[in-house]
Amino acid sequence: MEQRMTQRSAWDAVLARLRKRSLFMLHYCTGCGAIELPPTMTSRFDMERLGIMPMVTPRQADILLITGYLSVKTLKRVVLIYEQMQAPKYVVGFGSCTINGGMYWNSYATMKSLDQYVPVELYLAGCMPRPEAIITGFSELIDRIGRGEANSWKDYYENYEFYKKNQLHLFGEIETYQDIPADAQKFGITGVRA
Amino acid sequence: MNFSLTVLIWIVVYPIIAFSIGVLLGGYGRKFTARVQRRIGPPWIQPFFDVVKLMSKSTNISHGYMHDAAMMMLIGGTVMTLYFVPVPGFAYFSQFGDFLVIAYLILVPSLGMALGVGETANPNGSIGISRALQMMVGYEMPFVLTFIGMAMLNGTTSMYELILRQQAGGIATWGIVTNPLLGIAALISLQGMMNEKPFEVIVAPHEIATGPMTEMGGKYLGMMFIQHLIAIVVEMTIYINLFLGGARNWLELIVKLFAVWTLILSVHGVYGRFRTDDAIRFLWRVPLPLAAVGVFGIMLGIG
Repeated sequence: MEQRMTQRSAWDAVLARLRKRSLFMLHYCTGCGAIELPPTMTSRFDMERLGIMPMVTPRQADILLITGYLSVKTLKRVVLIYEQMQAPKYVVGFGSCTINGGMYWNSYATMKSLDQYVPVELYLAGCMPRPEAIITGFSELIDRIGRGEANSWKDYYENYEFYKKNQLHLFGEIETYQDIPADAQKFGITGVRA
Repeated sequence: MNFSLTVLIWIVVYPIIAFSIGVLLGGYGRKFTARVQRRIGPPWIQPFFDVVKLMSKSTNISHGYMHDAAMMMLIGGTVMTLYFVPVPGFAYFSQFGDFLVIAYLILVPSLGMALGVGETANPNGSIGISRALQMMVGYEMPFVLTFIGMAMLNGTTSMYELILRQQAGGIATWGIVTNPLLGIAALISLQGMMNEKPFEVIVAPHEIATGPMTEMGGKYLGMMFIQHLIAIVVEMTIYINLFLGGARNWLELIVKLFAVWTLILSVHGVYGRFRTDDAIRFLWRVPLPLAAVGVFGIMLGIG
């Protein structure tokens, strides 16, 4: 694994190490599981010691934490919020409902798997995941960002057709007011069709 | 004091020094608040990590020309105020501008923010800005009144003169000792000026989604963070220069900054948030009469 380190990649490595120390989290808690977050943030587990701070708008946030099930109606809002966030951005699916539908598998109103609609960086399995699991998951995310491996957000631009197809299949139509091909251009990803 | 290379170096280095002290103060503030809430809290240079992270974001949404220009106004206004506040080793600009200039310049960042946030057209941002301007009416009046008192007492509006006098006479001539009413009134309005609880009505995350910062992301939010970190140094240095005898060297200044900051944070840590009208009512009911009584005392020759 002898890799010749150019000046640029050295700078990126330093930046990644600094960047992993500060993460702003937007928690989207229309499903269940929001009750696990207060202990995670407050004195019992204290998320802020890892540099993770709750933020209130998508523009400011780095992490989008989706807790519990998403109905078709709320998923639409998640897509809107996700596209408003500034890259690099990381979606964390929380609870088994985001992974495979969980106990709502037979429901007509909820979606089954979150990564069909937005790229998910990390899943926290369980029903519910305890604060320990959340802290462990975020530590894993921090390590990945530090190593420069947390690049799932690029997948949204590279495979936009796949995500768009699934979104359209579920919603019929969706207008997000976000110019995805133009955004992709900034990251050097061409050939993205709206 | 003539314009020289030293002044030029100070012009470049001073904002960087102020930012560095601001990072330490900001990190200390978060650590202190965390300790009050029995948490461990983030590392001391957490604000630095936040700023680096925000400035290195790949995409930054701009809402138009005014949105970009406002950021320049925000940081430019704060740095401009910084230059006129005398600190140990650098008082070049304070010979051209006294406290009145500072009182004008300190409003520029808020006005810049108002223009920029207006363009983002976010209702939460507009509410935040209207609150910021209302709060300004609340804290500016007692704060300016305290300075009028100090100026009447010493017969000068120059902040530099004021520091020299206080340093020549020792602790007994410090503003807080000679005029405790003015000192306390200024301290309360400083709490409002620095937007800490119980006057944290502008950035009310649970109520209006951080107000002016709602639509700010990436570099825009990063610039607002930088402005805030410089502003806490500027505002507290003004208070120290007026009432705590300024500072002879940087160590003394930093010690005094941390002392005042701790005082402000210990109120911030245990209080909830006022409503906007209650905050203004409090600022007009408590510090304003205190300052007025102090000024009357000086006029009658008691203070």
